[in-house]
Amino acid sequence: MRYALLVQGAPYSSQASHSALRFAQAVVARGHRLDTVFFYHDGVYNAARLAAPPQDEPHLGDAWRALHNEHGTELLVCIAAALRRGLLDEREASRHGKPGHSVEPPFELTGLGQLVEAGLSHDRLITFSP
Amino acid sequence: MNETESAIDKGEVEGKVEGKVEGIAKGDLLVILRHSPHGSSWLREGLDAALVAAAFGQQVSLLFAGDGVLALMPHQQAGALGQKGTHGVIDMLAMYDIETLLVDAHALTSRGLSAEDLMLPVSVVEGDALPKLLDRHPLVLNF
Amino acid sequence: MILHLLNRSPATGGTVDDALAAMGPDDRLLLIEDGVLGALPAQVARFTGLTGRLFALREDLAARGLLERCEEQANIVDVDGFVTLTEEADKTVSWS
Repeated sequence: MRYALLVQGAPYSSQASHSALRFAQAVVARGHRLDTVFFYHDGVYNAARLAAPPQDEPHLGDAWRALHNEHGTELLVCIAAALRRGLLDEREASRHGKPGHSVEPPFELTGLGQLVEAGLSHDRLITFSP
Repeated sequence: MNETESAIDKGEVEGKVEGKVEGIAKGDLLVILRHSPHGSSWLREGLDAALVAAAFGQQVSLLFAGDGVLALMPHQQAGALGQKGTHGVIDMLAMYDIETLLVDAHALTSRGLSAEDLMLPVSVVEGDALPKLLDRHPLVLNF
Repeated sequence: MILHLLNRSPATGGTVDDALAAMGPDDRLLLIEDGVLGALPAQVARFTGLTGRLFALREDLAARGLLERCEEQANIVDVDGFVTLTEEADKTVSWS
Protein backbone atom coordinates (compact mmCIF):
# COMPACT_ATOMS: atom_id res chain seq x y z
CA MET A 1 0.00 0.00 0.00
CA ARG A 2 0.98 3.62 -0.44
CA TYR A 3 1.05 5.61 2.79
CA ALA A 4 1.30 9.29 3.59
CA LEU A 5 1.71 10.81 7.06
CA LEU A 6 0.62 14.18 8.39
CA VAL A 7 2.72 15.42 11.33
CA GLN A 8 1.41 18.42 13.29
CA GLY A 9 3.33 18.34 16.57
CA ALA A 10 6.58 20.18 17.28
CA PRO A 11 9.51 17.84 17.94
CA TYR A 12 10.42 17.43 21.62
CA SER A 13 7.27 19.34 22.66
CA SER A 14 4.81 16.53 22.09
CA GLN A 15 5.11 12.84 21.31
CA ALA A 16 3.54 13.29 17.87
CA SER A 17 6.81 13.40 15.93
CA HIS A 18 8.20 10.37 17.74
CA SER A 19 5.00 8.42 17.15
CA ALA A 20 4.98 9.38 13.47
CA LEU A 21 8.61 8.39 12.98
CA ARG A 22 8.13 5.09 14.78
CA PHE A 23 5.06 4.35 12.64
CA ALA A 24 6.95 5.39 9.50
CA GLN A 25 9.74 2.92 10.24
CA ALA A 26 7.21 0.13 10.86
CA VAL A 27 5.31 0.91 7.65
CA VAL A 28 8.38 0.62 5.43
CA ALA A 29 9.62 -2.44 7.36
CA ARG A 30 6.37 -4.17 6.40
CA GLY A 31 7.02 -3.49 2.73
CA HIS A 32 4.63 -0.60 2.22
CA ARG A 33 5.61 2.53 0.34
CA LEU A 34 5.84 5.68 2.42
CA ASP A 35 5.80 8.33 -0.29
CA THR A 36 5.15 11.45 1.71
CA VAL A 37 5.43 12.94 5.16
CA PHE A 38 3.69 16.31 5.29
CA PHE A 39 4.53 18.69 8.15
CA TYR A 40 1.84 21.18 9.14
CA HIS A 41 0.96 23.32 12.18
CA ASP A 42 3.83 23.07 14.70
CA GLY A 43 5.04 19.95 12.91
CA VAL A 44 6.97 22.26 10.59
CA TYR A 45 9.61 22.63 13.32
CA ASN A 46 10.75 19.11 12.43
CA ALA A 47 12.44 20.76 9.45
CA ALA A 48 14.60 23.12 11.56
CA ARG A 49 18.11 22.43 10.32
CA LEU A 50 19.81 23.83 13.40
CA ALA A 51 18.07 21.56 15.91
CA ALA A 52 20.69 20.34 18.38
CA PRO A 53 19.10 17.86 20.79
CA PRO A 54 21.29 16.29 23.51
CA GLN A 55 23.30 13.37 22.18
CA ASP A 56 21.52 10.83 24.35
CA GLU A 57 18.15 11.70 22.82
CA PRO A 58 16.84 10.55 19.45
CA HIS A 59 17.66 13.09 16.73
CA LEU A 60 14.36 13.47 14.92
CA GLY A 61 15.72 15.61 12.10
CA ASP A 62 18.43 13.08 11.31
CA ALA A 63 15.87 10.27 11.48
CA TRP A 64 13.59 11.99 8.97
CA ARG A 65 16.57 12.57 6.67
CA ALA A 66 17.50 8.89 6.98
CA LEU A 67 13.96 7.92 6.03
CA HIS A 68 14.26 10.09 2.93
CA ASN A 69 17.68 8.72 2.00
CA GLU A 70 16.77 5.07 2.50
CA HIS A 71 13.21 5.00 1.21
CA GLY A 72 12.81 8.08 -0.97
CA THR A 73 10.11 9.50 1.29
CA GLU A 74 9.48 13.14 0.39
CA LEU A 75 9.52 15.48 3.39
CA LEU A 76 7.06 18.26 2.59
CA VAL A 77 6.67 21.32 4.81
CA CYS A 78 3.70 23.68 4.54
CA ILE A 79 5.25 26.94 3.40
CA ALA A 80 2.64 29.21 4.98
CA ALA A 81 2.93 27.51 8.37
CA ALA A 82 6.74 27.47 8.09
CA LEU A 83 7.33 31.12 7.12
CA ARG A 84 5.22 32.36 10.04
CA ARG A 85 7.35 30.28 12.40
CA GLY A 86 10.74 31.36 11.06
CA LEU A 87 11.44 28.28 8.96
CA LEU A 88 12.82 29.46 5.62
CA ASP A 89 14.84 27.66 3.00
CA GLU A 90 17.63 29.43 1.13
CA ARG A 91 15.32 30.85 -1.51
CA GLU A 92 12.74 32.19 0.93
CA ALA A 93 15.46 33.58 3.19
CA SER A 94 16.90 35.52 0.30
CA ARG A 95 13.44 36.63 -0.86
CA HIS A 96 12.68 37.98 2.63
CA GLY A 97 16.15 39.47 3.12
CA LYS A 98 17.06 37.18 6.01
CA PRO A 99 20.69 36.61 7.00
CA GLY A 100 20.45 32.82 7.06
CA HIS A 101 18.17 29.93 6.26
CA SER A 102 16.70 27.41 8.64
CA VAL A 103 15.39 24.71 6.29
CA GLU A 104 17.38 22.71 3.79
CA PRO A 105 16.82 19.66 1.60
CA PRO A 106 15.60 16.99 1.81
CA PHE A 107 12.88 19.04 3.55
CA GLU A 108 10.95 20.99 0.92
CA LEU A 109 8.73 24.00 1.48
CA THR A 110 5.56 23.44 -0.46
CA GLY A 111 1.91 24.45 -0.65
CA LEU A 112 -0.98 22.94 1.27
CA GLY A 113 -2.27 21.55 -2.00
CA GLN A 114 0.36 18.84 -1.62
CA LEU A 115 -1.34 17.71 1.60
CA VAL A 116 -4.70 17.44 -0.12
CA GLU A 117 -3.08 15.65 -3.02
CA ALA A 118 -1.28 13.26 -0.64
CA GLY A 119 -4.49 12.54 1.21
CA LEU A 120 -6.50 11.81 -1.89
CA SER A 121 -3.92 9.93 -3.92
CA HIS A 122 -2.61 7.54 -1.25
CA ASP A 123 -4.22 4.43 0.14
CA ARG A 124 -3.80 5.71 3.68
CA LEU A 125 -3.15 9.07 5.34
CA ILE A 126 -2.30 8.81 9.03
CA THR A 127 -2.30 11.97 11.15
CA PHE A 128 -0.10 12.52 14.20
CA SER A 129 -1.06 15.64 16.16
CA PRO A 130 0.01 16.98 19.54
CA MET B 1 -34.56 20.74 19.84
CA ASN B 2 -37.25 22.20 17.59
CA GLU B 3 -34.80 24.83 16.48
CA THR B 4 -32.24 22.26 15.35
CA GLU B 5 -34.86 20.26 13.48
CA SER B 6 -36.14 23.31 11.71
CA ALA B 7 -32.57 24.24 10.78
CA ILE B 8 -32.14 20.90 9.04
CA ASP B 9 -35.45 21.28 7.24
CA LYS B 10 -34.56 24.79 6.16
CA GLY B 11 -31.21 23.64 4.81
CA GLU B 12 -32.78 20.94 2.71
CA VAL B 13 -35.75 22.94 1.47
CA GLU B 14 -33.63 25.89 0.44
CA GLY B 15 -31.05 23.61 -1.11
CA LYS B 16 -28.26 25.13 0.97
CA VAL B 17 -26.62 21.76 1.41
CA GLU B 18 -25.52 19.99 -1.71
CA GLY B 19 -24.39 16.44 -2.25
CA LYS B 20 -26.71 15.02 0.37
CA VAL B 21 -27.76 11.42 0.29
CA GLU B 22 -30.53 10.33 2.61
CA GLY B 23 -30.08 13.59 4.51
CA ILE B 24 -26.38 13.07 5.23
CA ALA B 25 -23.75 15.08 3.42
CA LYS B 26 -21.12 13.38 1.29
CA GLY B 27 -18.05 14.70 -0.47
CA ASP B 28 -14.37 14.14 -1.19
CA LEU B 29 -13.04 15.65 2.01
CA LEU B 30 -14.50 16.26 5.45
CA VAL B 31 -12.68 18.86 7.53
CA ILE B 32 -13.61 18.76 11.21
CA LEU B 33 -12.96 22.01 13.10
CA ARG B 34 -12.92 21.65 16.89
CA HIS B 35 -11.03 24.73 18.04
CA SER B 36 -12.18 28.29 18.59
CA PRO B 37 -10.87 31.33 16.75
CA HIS B 38 -7.99 33.34 18.24
CA GLY B 39 -7.01 30.80 20.91
CA SER B 40 -4.77 28.76 18.60
CA SER B 41 -3.93 28.42 14.94
CA TRP B 42 -5.84 25.13 14.57
CA LEU B 43 -9.01 26.69 13.21
CA ARG B 44 -7.24 28.92 10.70
CA GLU B 45 -5.01 26.12 9.50
CA GLY B 46 -7.95 23.73 9.22
CA LEU B 47 -9.90 26.29 7.20
CA ASP B 48 -6.85 26.89 4.99
CA ALA B 49 -6.72 23.16 4.20
CA ALA B 50 -10.41 23.24 3.30
CA LEU B 51 -9.99 26.27 1.01
CA VAL B 52 -7.02 24.75 -0.78
CA ALA B 53 -8.86 21.46 -1.33
CA ALA B 54 -11.85 23.34 -2.71
CA ALA B 55 -9.59 25.39 -4.98
CA PHE B 56 -8.27 22.07 -6.31
CA GLY B 57 -11.81 21.15 -7.27
CA GLN B 58 -12.57 18.80 -4.40
CA GLN B 59 -16.00 18.72 -2.83
CA VAL B 60 -15.38 19.81 0.75
CA SER B 61 -17.68 19.47 3.75
CA LEU B 62 -16.99 21.39 6.96
CA LEU B 63 -18.09 20.06 10.32
CA PHE B 64 -17.95 22.57 13.18
CA ALA B 65 -17.78 20.61 16.42
CA GLY B 66 -16.78 21.39 20.00
CA ASP B 67 -15.42 24.93 20.36
CA GLY B 68 -15.20 25.03 16.56
CA VAL B 69 -18.81 26.30 16.51
CA LEU B 70 -17.45 29.63 17.78
CA ALA B 71 -15.96 30.11 14.32
CA LEU B 72 -19.50 30.96 13.21
CA MET B 73 -20.34 33.58 15.81
CA PRO B 74 -21.34 36.95 14.39
CA HIS B 75 -19.55 40.18 15.39
CA GLN B 76 -16.07 38.66 15.62
CA GLN B 77 -13.21 41.07 15.24
CA ALA B 78 -9.47 41.27 15.07
CA GLY B 79 -7.50 40.69 18.26
CA ALA B 80 -6.00 43.47 20.35
CA LEU B 81 -2.73 43.36 18.40
CA GLY B 82 -4.50 43.19 15.07
CA GLN B 83 -4.47 39.38 14.79
CA LYS B 84 -6.84 38.63 12.00
CA GLY B 85 -8.88 35.77 13.42
CA THR B 86 -10.85 33.61 11.02
CA HIS B 87 -14.16 35.38 10.36
CA GLY B 88 -12.78 36.77 7.10
CA VAL B 89 -12.12 33.23 5.93
CA ILE B 90 -15.63 32.13 6.90
CA ASP B 91 -16.96 34.92 4.70
CA MET B 92 -15.02 33.48 1.75
CA LEU B 93 -16.34 29.92 1.96
CA ALA B 94 -19.12 30.50 -0.54
CA MET B 95 -16.66 31.98 -3.02
CA TYR B 96 -14.73 28.71 -2.83
CA ASP B 97 -17.94 26.72 -3.36
CA ILE B 98 -17.79 25.28 0.13
CA GLU B 99 -21.48 25.06 0.83
CA THR B 100 -21.78 22.03 3.05
CA LEU B 101 -21.56 23.67 6.46
CA LEU B 102 -22.44 21.26 9.22
CA VAL B 103 -22.66 21.93 12.93
CA ASP B 104 -22.69 19.31 15.65
CA ALA B 105 -25.96 19.65 17.59
CA HIS B 106 -24.36 18.81 20.92
CA ALA B 107 -21.66 21.45 20.41
CA LEU B 108 -24.40 24.08 20.05
CA THR B 109 -26.63 23.02 22.92
CA SER B 110 -23.76 22.57 25.37
CA ARG B 111 -22.77 26.17 24.67
CA GLY B 112 -26.28 27.52 24.90
CA LEU B 113 -26.35 28.35 21.19
CA SER B 114 -28.70 27.57 18.35
CA ALA B 115 -28.28 27.62 14.58
CA GLU B 116 -30.07 30.99 14.47
CA ASP B 117 -27.25 32.55 16.48
CA LEU B 118 -24.68 31.81 13.77
CA MET B 119 -23.48 34.10 10.98
CA LEU B 120 -24.29 31.65 8.16
CA PRO B 121 -27.04 29.15 7.40
CA VAL B 122 -25.87 25.72 8.51
CA SER B 123 -27.19 22.19 8.77
CA VAL B 124 -27.31 20.84 12.29
CA VAL B 125 -26.10 17.27 12.59
CA GLU B 126 -27.49 15.13 15.39
CA GLY B 127 -25.05 12.86 17.19
CA ASP B 128 -26.27 9.62 15.65
CA ALA B 129 -25.53 10.94 12.14
CA LEU B 130 -21.85 11.64 12.84
CA PRO B 131 -20.51 8.11 12.07
CA LYS B 132 -22.35 8.12 8.73
CA LEU B 133 -20.93 11.52 7.94
CA LEU B 134 -17.36 10.30 8.45
CA ASP B 135 -18.16 7.18 6.47
CA ARG B 136 -19.33 9.18 3.46
CA HIS B 137 -16.06 11.08 2.99
CA PRO B 138 -13.02 9.15 1.76
CA LEU B 139 -10.69 11.60 3.51
CA VAL B 140 -11.25 13.15 6.94
CA LEU B 141 -8.93 15.81 8.36
CA ASN B 142 -9.50 16.58 12.03
CA PHE B 143 -8.31 19.96 13.30
CA MET C 1 -14.64 0.49 8.91
CA ILE C 2 -12.67 3.44 10.28
CA LEU C 3 -9.71 3.21 12.64
CA HIS C 4 -9.86 6.05 15.15
CA LEU C 5 -6.67 7.10 16.95
CA LEU C 6 -6.92 8.73 20.37
CA ASN C 7 -3.78 10.23 21.91
CA ARG C 8 -5.32 12.15 24.82
CA SER C 9 -5.90 10.79 28.29
CA PRO C 10 -9.60 10.03 28.81
CA ALA C 11 -9.07 11.12 32.41
CA THR C 12 -8.56 14.74 31.32
CA GLY C 13 -10.55 16.61 28.71
CA GLY C 14 -13.37 15.65 26.40
CA THR C 15 -11.52 14.50 23.30
CA VAL C 16 -12.44 10.93 24.12
CA ASP C 17 -16.13 11.86 23.98
CA ASP C 18 -15.68 13.48 20.56
CA ALA C 19 -14.02 10.33 19.29
CA LEU C 20 -16.64 8.00 20.73
CA ALA C 21 -19.49 10.11 19.35
CA ALA C 22 -18.05 9.81 15.85
CA MET C 23 -17.53 6.05 15.96
CA GLY C 24 -19.75 3.73 13.93
CA PRO C 25 -20.78 0.25 15.09
CA ASP C 26 -17.87 -1.48 13.32
CA ASP C 27 -15.21 1.19 13.85
CA ARG C 28 -12.13 0.49 15.92
CA LEU C 29 -10.33 2.65 18.46
CA LEU C 30 -6.58 2.53 19.03
CA LEU C 31 -5.26 4.28 22.14
CA ILE C 32 -1.79 5.75 21.65
CA GLU C 33 0.46 8.13 23.60
CA ASP C 34 -1.48 9.52 26.61
CA GLY C 35 -4.57 7.81 25.24
CA VAL C 36 -3.31 4.50 26.64
CA LEU C 37 -4.46 5.63 30.08
CA GLY C 38 -7.86 4.58 28.80
CA ALA C 39 -6.79 0.95 29.15
CA LEU C 40 -6.53 1.25 32.95
CA PRO C 41 -9.27 -0.52 34.93
CA ALA C 42 -10.52 2.79 36.34
CA GLN C 43 -11.00 4.24 32.83
CA VAL C 44 -11.94 1.33 30.62
CA ALA C 45 -15.64 1.52 31.50
CA ARG C 46 -15.84 4.47 29.10
CA PHE C 47 -15.31 2.02 26.28
CA THR C 48 -18.08 -0.44 27.12
CA GLY C 49 -19.63 -1.40 23.84
CA LEU C 50 -16.28 -1.49 22.06
CA THR C 51 -15.63 -5.12 22.97
CA GLY C 52 -13.16 -6.53 20.47
CA ARG C 53 -12.72 -3.10 18.88
CA LEU C 54 -10.56 -1.41 21.54
CA PHE C 55 -6.78 -1.50 21.14
CA ALA C 56 -3.86 0.07 23.00
CA LEU C 57 -0.29 0.53 21.83
CA ARG C 58 2.10 -1.66 23.79
CA GLU C 59 5.15 0.59 23.69
CA ASP C 60 3.24 3.63 24.92
CA LEU C 61 1.87 1.54 27.81
CA ALA C 62 5.32 0.13 28.56
CA ALA C 63 7.00 3.55 28.46
CA ARG C 64 4.50 4.78 31.06
CA GLY C 65 4.90 1.74 33.32
CA LEU C 66 1.29 0.73 32.67
CA LEU C 67 1.67 -2.49 30.72
CA GLU C 68 0.88 -4.77 33.67
CA ARG C 69 -2.02 -2.63 34.83
CA CYS C 70 -4.14 -2.92 31.68
CA GLU C 71 -7.65 -4.22 31.59
CA GLU C 72 -8.14 -7.30 29.39
CA GLN C 73 -10.86 -5.51 27.46
CA ALA C 74 -8.16 -3.61 25.58
CA ASN C 75 -6.26 -5.60 22.99
CA ILE C 76 -2.56 -4.78 23.28
CA VAL C 77 -0.82 -4.30 19.92
CA ASP C 78 2.76 -3.44 19.05
CA VAL C 79 3.67 -0.96 16.33
CA ASP C 80 3.37 -3.68 13.67
CA GLY C 81 -0.13 -4.30 14.95
CA PHE C 82 -0.74 -0.56 14.59
CA VAL C 83 0.25 -0.80 10.93
CA THR C 84 -1.99 -3.85 10.49
CA LEU C 85 -4.93 -1.96 11.96
CA THR C 86 -4.40 0.82 9.41
CA GLU C 87 -4.21 -1.77 6.62
CA GLU C 88 -7.51 -3.31 7.68
CA ALA C 89 -9.39 -0.02 8.02
CA ASP C 90 -10.72 1.97 5.07
CA LYS C 91 -9.23 5.11 6.60
CA THR C 92 -8.04 6.52 9.89
CA VAL C 93 -9.23 9.56 11.83
CA SER C 94 -7.02 11.03 14.57
CA TRP C 95 -8.44 12.67 17.70
CA SER C 96 -6.11 14.88 19.69
